[in-house]
Amino acid sequence: MRLRIEPSSGVPISRQIADQIRSQCVAQALKPGDRVPSVRELARELAVNQNTILHVYERLTAEGWLETRQGSGTFVKVNPGARAHKSAQTQALLAQLRQAVQQAHLLGISSEELHEMLTASMTLEMDSDVPSERRTL
Amino acid sequence: MTPAISITNLTKTFGSKPALHRVNLEIPAGATVGLVGANGAGKTTLIKCALGLLRPTSGQCALLGEDVWSLSAAAKARLGYVPQVISLYPWMRVRELIQYTASFYATWNAQLTDRLVREWDIPLDDRVRGLSVGQKQKLAILTAVAYQPDLLILDEPAASLDPQARRQFLQLLVELTEPQQRTVLFSTHIMSDLERVADYVAMMQKGQIIYFGSLEDLKDRTHLSLEDAFLQMQQGAANA
Repeated sequence: MRLRIEPSSGVPISRQIADQIRSQCVAQALKPGDRVPSVRELARELAVNQNTILHVYERLTAEGWLETRQGSGTFVKVNPGARAHKSAQTQALLAQLRQAVQQAHLLGISSEELHEMLTASMTLEMDSDVPSERRTL
Repeated sequence: MTPAISITNLTKTFGSKPALHRVNLEIPAGATVGLVGANGAGKTTLIKCALGLLRPTSGQCALLGEDVWSLSAAAKARLGYVPQVISLYPWMRVRELIQYTASFYATWNAQLTDRLVREWDIPLDDRVRGLSVGQKQKLAILTAVAYQPDLLILDEPAASLDPQARRQFLQLLVELTEPQQRTVLFSTHIMSDLERVADYVAMMQKGQIIYFGSLEDLKDRTHLSLEDAFLQMQQGAANA
C-alpha cells in the first residue's frame, strides 16, 4: 500500500488518507484480512498527527472498510459496499474524462495527441516516486 | 479538564507601541496547536507573555491551571520551552550541557536522549559555541523534550533545520503527542509542517488572534490550503 500526502492542497490530510485506503481496498491492493499499520506506526511514518490517523481509522471502521481485533491490530474487512463504491468512483472518473475530452476539443487538440497525452500521464504516474511522501506496507 | 493554556484579555504595549491587543485564547489539554502570523504579528510576544517571561500590560495568563506569575515548581517542571533565539552556555561541551540540564529533572528520559543524539547526529564532544545555528536548535529541542514536559512551547523550532532534520523533528512531535497525552504550541511559517502535525491552528494579525479552531473544520469549511485560508483570513480582518 502506498500513501501519498500533499499537505498544501485544499483537501484535509485525513480525507486524503481515507480516500486512498478506500481506493486501495476497491482495487484489491489491500485485501480482506490484510493487516494495516497501527495508528502510531502510520502517524510516525507519515509524520502526521496521531489524532488525524485515529480519526481516519474510526471513520473507515464505521464505514465497514476496516475492523479492529482486540489485541492483534487493525485489518481490512470484507466490504459488501466496495462494489457500489467502485462504480460510483468510476462514474465520477468518467465524467472527469468527458470534461477533459471536451476541453481538448475546444483547444483544437487531436485524438492522437490526446491519446499521447494520456499515455504520457500514465507513464509519469507509474514512474513518479517521492520516497519521503510514500510508504509501502 | 483544565485548559493547558488560558489567556484572558491580554494586552501588551512596548512604550507606546501596542504588541498585543485584548487577546483571548484557550488551548485544551492534549491539543497540538500551530501558531501562524506575519512577521511582527505578535507571536513571540504572545508566547513570552504566556510563559511569564514578559509582564502583560493588562490581562491574565494561566498555564496548567496556575497563574504564570505564581507558577509552582511542580508546574515549571512540567513545562518545556524552545525560544526563537537560543542561548545555551557556550563554554560547555554538548555532553556536559545535556548532563547539566538532566540534573534538574527527575523525569529525564536518558533513552530518548541517546536516541535523539544518534538520530540527529549531535556532536557530544564539541563545545556549544562552535555549533551551527541548526545544531543549536536541535540541542535546544532535545533538552526541552527529554524531561517529557506535559506542555511544550516552541517558537519557530524548525526555522533553521535542514529538510531531513525537519522531517525528523516532525516525526518526534507526532511521537510526543500521542493522543491526549501532551499539549504542544508551536509557531511557524511553514504551513505544510503545521498541516501535518497540528490539530488546531491559531492565526495572528497585528496583535490579535483572528482565528482559532480545528484545522480539519477550517479545511472542510474553506476547501483551501492553509496558506490560502490564512491569506484570505488576513485580508478579511484587515477590511473589517
